[in-house]
Amino acid sequence: MALADGGTGLAMTWLILVPLLPLLTALLIAVSDRAQLEQHVKLGAVPIVTAFLGSAATLALVTAHGPITVRLYDPAPLAGFALPLGFCIDRLSGVMMTLITLVGTVIYLYSRGYMYQDRHYRRYMGLIALTTFVLLCMVSSANLLMLFVFWQILSWLLFLLAHNHAHPATLNGACTTFSLLRLGDVAFLAGIVLAYSLYGTIEFEDLFARAASTPGSLRLWEGLEIEGPTAVTLLIFVGAMSKSAQFPLHIWLPRSLYAPTPVHALLHAGIINAGGFLMNRLAPLFGLSSTTLHVAFVVGSLTAILGATMMLTQNDIKKTLGFSTIGQMGYMIMECGLGAFSLAVFHLIAHGLFKATVFLNCGNVIHKARQEPAFPPLAREAEEREFSTLTWSTGFFTTLIVPLAILLGTHGILRIPLLDSQGTVIFLFFIWITSSQAILSLTRIREVASWKVSLAMLTTLVFVIFTYLFAAETFTHFLYPDPSEVAGYFKAAALPGRLFDLVVAGMTLLTILGWVYLYARAHGRTVRMPLWVEGLMARLYVVFMNRLYVDAVHARVGRGLAQAAARVERFAAGWRM
Amino acid sequence: MAAWLTPWALLAVPCAGALISAPAWAKLRALRTGLLLSTMAALLTALAAALVLDTLPSGLPFLCLLPLVAFASLLAQPLHRDNRGSWVLTVILLGVGQAAVTAPPPAQSFLVGLLFILILGALFRLRHPAAPVRWSLATFAFAVAAEAGAVLAPAPLDAVAGLAVCLVLVPLFPLHAAYVAALSRLPGSLPAFLIVALPAVGFSRLLTVLPALPDLAREALVWLALAGMVYGTMLALAQPRPLPLLAHAALALCSMFWWSVGITGTLASESAVFLAAVGLSLSGLYLGWYAVRARFGDLDLRALGGLVQPMPRFAMLFSLLALAALGFPPFGVFSGFMGMVLVPTSPLPVSFAVVAFAWLAVSWYVLELKRRLLFGRPRPDLRYEDLRDGELAAMTIVLVVVTALGIMPSRWFDAGAASAPSRASVETSAWNR
Repeated sequence: MALADGGTGLAMTWLILVPLLPLLTALLIAVSDRAQLEQHVKLGAVPIVTAFLGSAATLALVTAHGPITVRLYDPAPLAGFALPLGFCIDRLSGVMMTLITLVGTVIYLYSRGYMYQDRHYRRYMGLIALTTFVLLCMVSSANLLMLFVFWQILSWLLFLLAHNHAHPATLNGACTTFSLLRLGDVAFLAGIVLAYSLYGTIEFEDLFARAASTPGSLRLWEGLEIEGPTAVTLLIFVGAMSKSAQFPLHIWLPRSLYAPTPVHALLHAGIINAGGFLMNRLAPLFGLSSTTLHVAFVVGSLTAILGATMMLTQNDIKKTLGFSTIGQMGYMIMECGLGAFSLAVFHLIAHGLFKATVFLNCGNVIHKARQEPAFPPLAREAEEREFSTLTWSTGFFTTLIVPLAILLGTHGILRIPLLDSQGTVIFLFFIWITSSQAILSLTRIREVASWKVSLAMLTTLVFVIFTYLFAAETFTHFLYPDPSEVAGYFKAAALPGRLFDLVVAGMTLLTILGWVYLYARAHGRTVRMPLWVEGLMARLYVVFMNRLYVDAVHARVGRGLAQAAARVERFAAGWRM
Repeated sequence: MAAWLTPWALLAVPCAGALISAPAWAKLRALRTGLLLSTMAALLTALAAALVLDTLPSGLPFLCLLPLVAFASLLAQPLHRDNRGSWVLTVILLGVGQAAVTAPPPAQSFLVGLLFILILGALFRLRHPAAPVRWSLATFAFAVAAEAGAVLAPAPLDAVAGLAVCLVLVPLFPLHAAYVAALSRLPGSLPAFLIVALPAVGFSRLLTVLPALPDLAREALVWLALAGMVYGTMLALAQPRPLPLLAHAALALCSMFWWSVGITGTLASESAVFLAAVGLSLSGLYLGWYAVRARFGDLDLRALGGLVQPMPRFAMLFSLLALAALGFPPFGVFSGFMGMVLVPTSPLPVSFAVVAFAWLAVSWYVLELKRRLLFGRPRPDLRYEDLRDGELAAMTIVLVVVTALGIMPSRWFDAGAASAPSRASVETSAWNR
């Protein structure tokens, strides 16, 4: 066992046991018989709550004293290893552990009531505790291989959590989930194997140092070589794509929605963030490859757009939330692709807490909808006819004029060369997009006085600006104390100038058009569109409602493979005769 | 005990056990008990040899694994008179296998040849017109001839002939038919034992062959391994019945071992762990299928399902063994595979993409096997009964051993002295017995 330079004594070593506490809960539940089950479940809350308190204490300690590293193996000769177990808890791990145990505690306590008397009560409670344990071990892994070990176990646990063996649709969904997650696992495995063959280590710090000093290359065939860090990160990125439900590997998420609601809360608040965590953990490696970051940006953007669009066409509350999560994960990966790694962690925390709350509440909404015929209201036409000039003007002003003033102020008064600093523009751009989204949503509130809505818009804008400029900046500094490191990531992720301008201009145009459309609709004016555009929109609606037919393509690929296998079998049988 | 005596003692003990048990032929329980005791005596002999001799017998973990697998495969068998022949043959093959693992050449060649002849005889006797095994019989005959060639031919032909023998023992395309037939056609306890025994013997035979192997043969091994992975995977995907499915899964997984041998030119201890763990986990699945077959007959997988509810103990053990077979930590298949592919010195070849595909595909067909057997609605016309004690113990033993393989340091599998390096090059004397 080796304590790293940050280790300051026995207390810190004991805190390493925090990830093991939820395992104790799982074991308690596993060994209980029917008569003791409820008692054991109740008792099992103690280790989970203690894990949360311990995680918070660990976060405070690593913030004050630096990372804690405990290795139960000798990192020098890897050959002959069994499983290189160890824990390395730095600020990123501390933050993730606190988030996971907080969400895990809430979900565990909620599930006690929600799942009570369910036929699979014991199984679900045990699996929730076990998943929390695996997540904690994953985020506090001391090396890449241990991270991968728990990454794989997480795939299996997701399969178990998502499936109900007596329900065919659930079972199919769970098998799809496992197949796609396994695809990501194998890509991740290939990334590790390649990294080890190029750099000869699986220890994070050594790996980053060696990849930076001697990047190496992979020869695909004669005349075609790919840089070592690019090849490694691209493979690992596929792993992150599968876990974080990125297009086109996203289809497992909507298919797993038959699972109990608390499972979804844990899935959407904890498990699905694994991709973002992985990219942050390996940020120094990803920072060496502009190509991978650009690919991440494209995949993330595509997922955000498609996920949000598919969300709009769903008619099921859980599926709507599922696609919303896909969209949000797209944002998260896009942020990583832009080099804003800390922003991605900030995003996943905010989204995790928000989505867990929504999922835990959606059961009540469904229940209420079943009991009250008027809920949710079927028609909003009466509301739509009302139009408040004050609301609209405030929204328009706060969305377009105030951010413009801030932008010019930043550029002119603070003398920040925005045209040369994509990182700053990205932060400002996210402020703008987030506040626009919130303010556009606020215009739909018609049941309160318009001055209150206007006030809410202004407050939102101030809050969002404060959050991004202060909280996100502070958080960035907290996770990555070295400003040159952050600047390095932004530089590596920098898009070609014209492309970046085009993206910003395109998004700006879309936001302005949103306000124009809103204004025109509110005044009863129809936005004239060519017939072919209307036809295309109708067709696109069907396509998005059917989730871009990716499921069908996936099924067809499976059938194709099965047919090919059958053909090979027939050929081999003939040959053997 | 003199070192030269070890293989013959290891051969004699199980064979003597089989002979002593033979008078109880009509009493099924007594016969099986006698044979089970013989396997334990074989295990004790291996351990005694390790304690008494100055240098450990080569492949000691394999020596201990073989009696354990034989014990488990006998224990899982239902008491039925049709199984008697397979029980006795399992114990005899255990003796031959253990002796072949430890014997020096040319005695090793003789024992490997004897092993082939015994299996060939069993296959020939049990052949069925509906399931032709001509190609498999021909492969076994070829292996016997190759073994004779390995003894008689001059260098480097003897190495190539020896390699051909190894390709039959640790299956590789296109010489896999014998192995597949042995695993899917032989009755009773034989397939669950041979799935571990043949690769174990093949591994120890390869230790003597590999150092003399020309580079061209190593390159050919890589190509054949890639073909074997694709072929094994495709055929495993197409199988509706578990026995051929598992046999072809073994082909695909063993091809990964050959790929590693071809790429690195070494026999790392991790590859021994991998081979042993693959054999064990698939052997465990065979035992699970025996339990199902003993209850419902040799049904198509599509005709079964829903066992998870009426057979929870079976479902739990079968799931864990499936998890081990599809390469999940902390089981031996994962540890062995990772140890085998994490090679720091050589650049990763592009052919690893095929290995990754085959590795991924294992998840599909093993999961499908598990899904077909365990999930869905139970059939109302079937009478379900969970695992009996013997079956439960047999599957548990295999699961414990395959887990231990994943956790224990792989250097335990080093051939020869305990101090041998964990990854030896073919030139290293530790591998040249």
